[in-house]
Amino acid sequence: MMPGIPLQERGEKAAAAAASAPRRGRGGAVSIALSGVSKRFDDIVALEPVDLTIKGGSFLAIVGPSGCGKSTLLRIIAGLIAPSSGALTLPGHAVGAFVFQEAALLPWRNVQANAELVMELENIPKAERVKRARHALAQVGLEGFERRYPHQLSGGMKMRLSLARAMALRPDFLLLDEPLAAVDELTRDQLQDELLALCRSSGVTAVLVTHNVYEAVYLADQVVVMSARPGRVIDRFDVPFGDDRAPELRSSPEFVSLAAAVSASLRKGRVDD
Amino acid sequence: MTDRLAFRRTALNIAAPLFVAVAFVGLWYVLSVTVYADKAFLLPGPVAVIKAMHRDFGTILAATLVTFKEAFSGYAAATLLGISAAALMSQSRLLERSFYPYAVLMQTVPVVAVAPLIVLWFGYGETSVIIVSAIISLFPIINNTLLGLQSASSSLVELFAMHKAGRLTAFRKLRLPGAVPNIIAGLRISAGLSVVGAIVGEFLIGSGNSRGGLGVQIIFAQGRMDTPLLFAEVIFATFLGFGFFIAVSLVGRLLIGHWHESAR
Repeated sequence: MMPGIPLQERGEKAAAAAASAPRRGRGGAVSIALSGVSKRFDDIVALEPVDLTIKGGSFLAIVGPSGCGKSTLLRIIAGLIAPSSGALTLPGHAVGAFVFQEAALLPWRNVQANAELVMELENIPKAERVKRARHALAQVGLEGFERRYPHQLSGGMKMRLSLARAMALRPDFLLLDEPLAAVDELTRDQLQDELLALCRSSGVTAVLVTHNVYEAVYLADQVVVMSARPGRVIDRFDVPFGDDRAPELRSSPEFVSLAAAVSASLRKGRVDD
Repeated sequence: MTDRLAFRRTALNIAAPLFVAVAFVGLWYVLSVTVYADKAFLLPGPVAVIKAMHRDFGTILAATLVTFKEAFSGYAAATLLGISAAALMSQSRLLERSFYPYAVLMQTVPVVAVAPLIVLWFGYGETSVIIVSAIISLFPIINNTLLGLQSASSSLVELFAMHKAGRLTAFRKLRLPGAVPNIIAGLRISAGLSVVGAIVGEFLIGSGNSRGGLGVQIIFAQGRMDTPLLFAEVIFATFLGFGFFIAVSLVGRLLIGHWHESAR
């Protein structure tokens, strides 16, 4: 792993490296480490010190009730919030992308131009943007919709576009803040498979925040359970299902029992309150 | 099928207000030949008004052009000033807190009462009229633009922050385009107001100027008890403001028709 550098410096270096960042396979993927990272807003402890290591190319899911600080944790990794204490270790060249619960699209831009947005902010040249956006849109099945506007898309398609926008940047780490919470059940299952495929093929290191235990177990290599007031990590689970997961996994006994264990841990956190 | 539906909707959009217009003119006509038959100086009938329009068409048209020039200048100044002021206030909470109350005061101060002062400062000329028109048009533009600039979704604001977009980039690519529907809404409110402002301005500059705009001519007509002419001029003034409104709405449709509900 490359030596960690302070948060403030990360952005500029990341931007400079973005244009030339090669596509990393899983071998060279970027690890993320948090040691003693905490956050307080004035007198309120939003997050007690957290230690986490996310291996390069792996998928971490954080589950917990509202107010457990999981979104704060995600935003600390994103560099959007500075931690009150502790250190975040990320390689200097690492490029991150964020996917929100709402698709967060620009309604006045068509699908193609929306897919280019974050690359534009990272100063990637136009020709390259067009190429990468096309590719990413094709990956999420939005080929042929380039000239449509967001209001002409379904909820699932908007979320696909939001994913394509993030993946087109070829990020080293992908931060997902309950991205599938607002779509219907059927679309959610389908999007989970697509998300899984995208992450595996790109070798991106992913951190997902979710309420949904089944989603966490289906997608992640490691599940972290948090509890609220104050926000803290109360449990960790390794998910042993490997890289190739198919929808049938959801009904296998191993999957069901692991999901049950995570649920039990979540409930325990609630009882403690 | 869709074409026919669209056609029917367009037809309805034209037919429904047209029906109201016909009913209104009908009622006006009936009143003018019954209740006001002997008091035509209070309510002249539609025919008398059209005759006055015909008789004094040259004067009315010239006056309309003068008022158009003044109202348009005031409107343009208010647009430029209003959008710039809102843009500045949107960039700093301190600036907003410091100046927004005065933007509100500018709206609540009775412009009619302040107008004599403006005349005193800027003279009996079109400059004063333009200033009155601009003051009246300003607030809706500031207010709506500011609202629009501040209503960017928090996720998008975070997205821009995460990718280290500067203030200017966020303004150009996120806040300003997102504010266009609100800006258009403010401009639509101010369209009619700018004409009202110009006419109020003209009232105060008085009837000394025989080549004045509609406000001046209305005072003239009133002095001569030429009610049909007064009506004709009011109608022209009304349609002037309406014309501004339509023009802004068309520009709005061009700018945001492809994505925003309000313009479809």
